[in-house]
Amino acid sequence: MLQKAEVPLLWACLQAVLVVALGFTDMDPGPGVGVSTQPNGDRFKIEGRAIVPGIKTQDWVSAARVLVEGEEYVGFLRTDGSFAVNDVPSGSYVVEIISPNYRFEPVRVDITSKGKMRARLVNYIKTSEVIRQPYPLQIRATGPHSYFMKRETWGWTDFLMNPMVMMMVLPLLIIVLLPKVVNTNDPEMRKEMEQSMNMLNPNPELPDVSELMTKLFSGSKGSSKAGSSSKGTRPAAKRR
Amino acid sequence: MVIRSGLRTFQKGNETVDYQAIYSGGNGEVYALGVVPHSHIAVVAYSLEDGEIIKQISVEAPWLSNIQASCVVIGQGMLMCVDSPTVSLYMLDLHVQSQMTQIPLQSLGLEIASGFRPILVSTQPNPARQPLSEFFLQLGPEHYLLLQLNNGQIVTLRDFKPAILVAFATSGEKTVAAVMSPKNKTACSLNLFSAETGRRLLDTTLTFNMAPNGGKPEKLYVQAYLKKDDSVGYRVMVQTEDHTLTFIQQPGRVMWIREEALSDVVTMEMVDLPLTGTQAELEGEFGKKADGLMSMVLKRLSSQLILLQAWITHLWKLFYDARKPRSQVKNEVTIENLSRDEFNLQKMMVMVTASGKLFGIDSKTGSILWRHYLDNIPSNAAFKLMVQRTTAHFPHPPQCTLLIKDKDTGLATLHVFNPIFGKTSQVTSPALPQPILQSLMLPLMDQDYAKVLLLVDDQYKVSAFPSTKNVLQQLQEMASSIFFYLVDSSQGRLSGYRLRTDLSTELIWEVVIPTEIQKIVSVKGKRPNEHVHSQGRVMGDRSVLYKYLNPNLLAVVTESTDMHQERSFVGILLIDGVTGRVIHEAVQRRAKGPVHVVHSENWVVYEYWSTKSRRNEFSVIELYEGMELYNSTVFSSLDRPHAPQVLQQSYIFPSSISTMEATLTEKGITSRHLLIGLPSGGILSMPKMFLDPRRPEIVSEQSREENLIPYAPELPIRTEWFINYNQTVSRVRGIYTAPSGLESTCLVVAYGLDIYQTRVYPSKQFDVLKDDYDYMLISSVLLALFFATMISKRLAEVKLLNRAWR
Repeated sequence: MLQKAEVPLLWACLQAVLVVALGFTDMDPGPGVGVSTQPNGDRFKIEGRAIVPGIKTQDWVSAARVLVEGEEYVGFLRTDGSFAVNDVPSGSYVVEIISPNYRFEPVRVDITSKGKMRARLVNYIKTSEVIRQPYPLQIRATGPHSYFMKRETWGWTDFLMNPMVMMMVLPLLIIVLLPKVVNTNDPEMRKEMEQSMNMLNPNPELPDVSELMTKLFSGSKGSSKAGSSSKGTRPAAKRR
Repeated sequence: MVIRSGLRTFQKGNETVDYQAIYSGGNGEVYALGVVPHSHIAVVAYSLEDGEIIKQISVEAPWLSNIQASCVVIGQGMLMCVDSPTVSLYMLDLHVQSQMTQIPLQSLGLEIASGFRPILVSTQPNPARQPLSEFFLQLGPEHYLLLQLNNGQIVTLRDFKPAILVAFATSGEKTVAAVMSPKNKTACSLNLFSAETGRRLLDTTLTFNMAPNGGKPEKLYVQAYLKKDDSVGYRVMVQTEDHTLTFIQQPGRVMWIREEALSDVVTMEMVDLPLTGTQAELEGEFGKKADGLMSMVLKRLSSQLILLQAWITHLWKLFYDARKPRSQVKNEVTIENLSRDEFNLQKMMVMVTASGKLFGIDSKTGSILWRHYLDNIPSNAAFKLMVQRTTAHFPHPPQCTLLIKDKDTGLATLHVFNPIFGKTSQVTSPALPQPILQSLMLPLMDQDYAKVLLLVDDQYKVSAFPSTKNVLQQLQEMASSIFFYLVDSSQGRLSGYRLRTDLSTELIWEVVIPTEIQKIVSVKGKRPNEHVHSQGRVMGDRSVLYKYLNPNLLAVVTESTDMHQERSFVGILLIDGVTGRVIHEAVQRRAKGPVHVVHSENWVVYEYWSTKSRRNEFSVIELYEGMELYNSTVFSSLDRPHAPQVLQQSYIFPSSISTMEATLTEKGITSRHLLIGLPSGGILSMPKMFLDPRRPEIVSEQSREENLIPYAPELPIRTEWFINYNQTVSRVRGIYTAPSGLESTCLVVAYGLDIYQTRVYPSKQFDVLKDDYDYMLISSVLLALFFATMISKRLAEVKLLNRAWR
C-alpha cells in the first residue's frame, strides 16, 4: 500500500532539525455524512417529553436542548417539556436532553425504514441488548449536576482520627503511662513480673522489658499497616 | 414585500422552475414567483383562504436568471426587474398582464456606471398591504435614485450622488428613506428623506464615525419612530464589512457595538504581556539600530533606569491599592496600564477571524484592547498565525506574522504586526509572487531575535523572512539539518524534503497513500513549545520504561473513500518527518470520521465513530523505547536503529465530541489532561491517566503500585470534570492551550460561537497556597511550639539544677 522512496542516509548529522510545522489545511475535512441516510428515504419525527421532578418547566426548558446523535439533529423543548425532532431519516439514534443544571439519561431510539419507533436503554458495551423504554419518550431528570468537589476541610477530629497520628500517639501514651500505672518500685510486683516473663520466654538470658516493648510495638505497627509495610520492606531487601 | 425564502424546486415537463420568491398584497392572493433561467417567469396565484390555485401564467423573460437578485414588487402588484445588458427596466402587472413592458433607462435619462449591476430596493411597510410605489434604483457604487411609479409612468423623485447606502423605514403611516453619504475619510452622514416626495426632513442628520482600521459600512437598518411633535426620529444599526454592528442614536451617539466577527475565530495565539506598560511604549524608540558602543551603553542604562522606575511605581501602587477596600480598586485594563502579572497568568489573546479582522483581547477581563481589519482578504482564505518574536527581547517589540493564503490560487500575503498594540509593523514583508505550499518557523533567530520563517513555493524554492545577510548565513550553515514535509491530499502524497545551502530543496522521501482507497484527512506534528519533563516511566518493579520522544514524529490520519458502513475504515500512520520511516500503522475497521487527533509527548490519542457498534471510540497509542535508552543525550531521527515498542488500547466514549486538545504547562512536570469540547456545551478535562494503554485488565500488585487504573471499556464523563461548570460554550470549534508562569496552571481558551477563557490545574494547585489557607492556624501552632520549647527548656534547666544540688 505504501511506497517509500529510498532514503539516502549519507549525511550523518547527529541532530536533525525538522521543523514540524503544520501545513495549511489544504485537505478538505471528510464529508459530514451522518448516520446512514438514504437519499430519498422517508423522514420521521422523534417525540417525547422531559420532566424534572419538582421544578417548574419554565425554569429550566429555556437552557435545555434535545440532541439527536451528537449535534446531527437538534431540538428545543416546549414550555410543557415536550419536544419533537423532525426530519430524521430511519436509523438508530442516541437521544439526549442536555441542560446545564439537570442530568438526564440518554435513550436510544430505533426507527425502521417503515417508520416504526422503538426506544431502549443506551448500552454502549452490549449494543444489541434491548431494554425497552416507553415511546413517545419519557425522560426524567436523575438529579442536578454536581460541578464542584467538596473541598477538604481541616478539623481537630480529622487530625486525631488519622491512622498515622493514632499510631504515633497511642504507643507514646503507653510508654509514658504504663510505668506509672504499674509500680515498678514494689519488690513483690517486680518479682511477679519477672516470673511471668520467664514463663512467657523459655530463654532466660534474653528477656528485657524494653526490648519486649519495642517488639510488641513493631508487631502492632505491622498489623495496622498491613499492605504498606510490604512496600517499605521489600525494596530495602532488594537493595541489600 | 417579496418574502425571500427557500422554496422548493418543481419539475414540470422537462424544464425546472425554480421558485424564488412569494408575494402577497394582502388582498387574498399569494403569488409564487419562479423562474426558468433565460426562458420565462412562472407566476402561480393561490387563494389565501383554501390554498387553491387561482391562476397560473408564464411570461417570457429570456434575459432573466434570478428573481431575487434583480426583481422587486412595488405598488399594486407590479413586478419590477432591472437588466444591465439591455440597460432597461422591465415591468409586469401580476394581476392582469402576461407580457413584460420594457422601459429603457435612457428614456428616463439615466445611465449605469460601467461594469455595475444595477440593484432595486423596495419597501412593503405592512405585510397585509401593498408595497409602496416608491423604490430605489442603484446605478453605481455611490449613486442611488429614488423613483416613483405613478400611473404606469416612472418619475425620478431625487438623485442621490454620492450615497453609500439607502434604507426605507416606516413608523405609523409615514415612510422615510435614510440615505448614508460620505462626509470625509473617517465619517459618514445620514439624512432622512420623505419617501413620497423625496424632500429632505429637517434636523435628521446623524454622523457615523468609522473606526480606524475598521471596515466600510455594508448595510443599514433604520428604526424610525414618531416624536411628540409628529416629526420622525430614528436610530440606525450599521453593519460594516468587518462584521461589526453599531447602533447609533441621533446625532451620532453610539449606543452599543457588537463584534460579530468574534463568533468565527479561525486561529489564535496567546502572547505574554510586556513587563510594564511604559516599557512597551519605549520599545519603539529602542527598536532602532544603535550606532555606537557609547550610545548603546547609555541606552541600556537608561532603559534599565526606566524599568527600575516603573517597578517602583508598580510597588507603590500595590501598596497603595492594598490599603483600599477591594471593591474600590479599579481594574480597568487599557493598553497603557497593561502589564504582566507575577505569575504570567494574564496574556494577550490575538484572535484571527474569518472576516479578516484581528483582535487583541485581554485574557483577564475579556475586553477588546485593539482591533484591526485587513482589507482584501479572499473569501476562502486560510490563516496561519505565528509569533516571530516574543516580549522577552525588551528593546525589540514583539512581532506576530499572519500568513493569509487564498485556498484556490495558493497565493499568499504576510501581515506583520505588534501583538500588544495591533499596529502594523514597520518591517517590510516580502512580496510573494508564487503560490506557497508550506510555511515553517525555525528555531533560528536573526540578530534582532526574530525567529526565521521559511516559505516554500510551488517551485520548491525556499524564501526566508526576515531575509537579512545574517539569517542567510545561518541558514547556509544549518541547511543540511533542516528538513520539512509537504502534504498533497488530492494525490495522497506525503513527501519529505531537505534544504540545500543555496536555498533550493531536495526530495528525500515520499509516501503515497492511494487515493482510490483512502484519503489523508489530517497531519499532526507535536507542538514546538512543548516540554517533557521525565524521559521515562517508573514501573512497579522499579525499572524504567523509556519514552520514545521523537520531535519529528507526524501522525497522519486517513479515512477510507468508500463510505459504506461495512467497508469504511480509519487509519493512522506514524511517520518520522525526517527519514520518512513508518514507525507504526494502525487501522480501525468499520469506523469513520470525523477523526479528532491529539499528538503530544510519546502518545497519540484519536477519536472516531465506530459504525459497527454505533458509538464514539477513543484510541490511544503510546510509544516506548524499551527498558534502556539508545542515546540519552540527543535525539536524531537518522540514528535510531531500534523500532519503538507500541502500545495501543481503545475505549468507548459516551458522547460525540466537537474538538480536542491537551493541556500544556511550562516545564511539563504537571500531569496531562485532555480537554474535550462536547456538543452539550461542556468542556471536559479528562486526565490522560484514563487513556493509558497500560491500564491492566487484571489488577496486579505491580500495576497498583504504578497507580494504573484497571481497564474499563467505557470512559466516564464526570460533571466535576467540566471546567466551565454550567456556563455552556456553544459550538466549540477549537481549544487553545498555553502555559502560564506557574507550573501547575495551564491557560485554556475555547472558541466557537462563544469564547471562554479559564485556567486549569491538572495536578491541583501544588505550587500555590489555597485561597482559604489557614494562616492563623499555622502561625498559632508555630507560636505555641515556640513557647512550649521555651518553657520546657526553662523547666529542664531547673530540673538539671535541682539534680545537681541533690
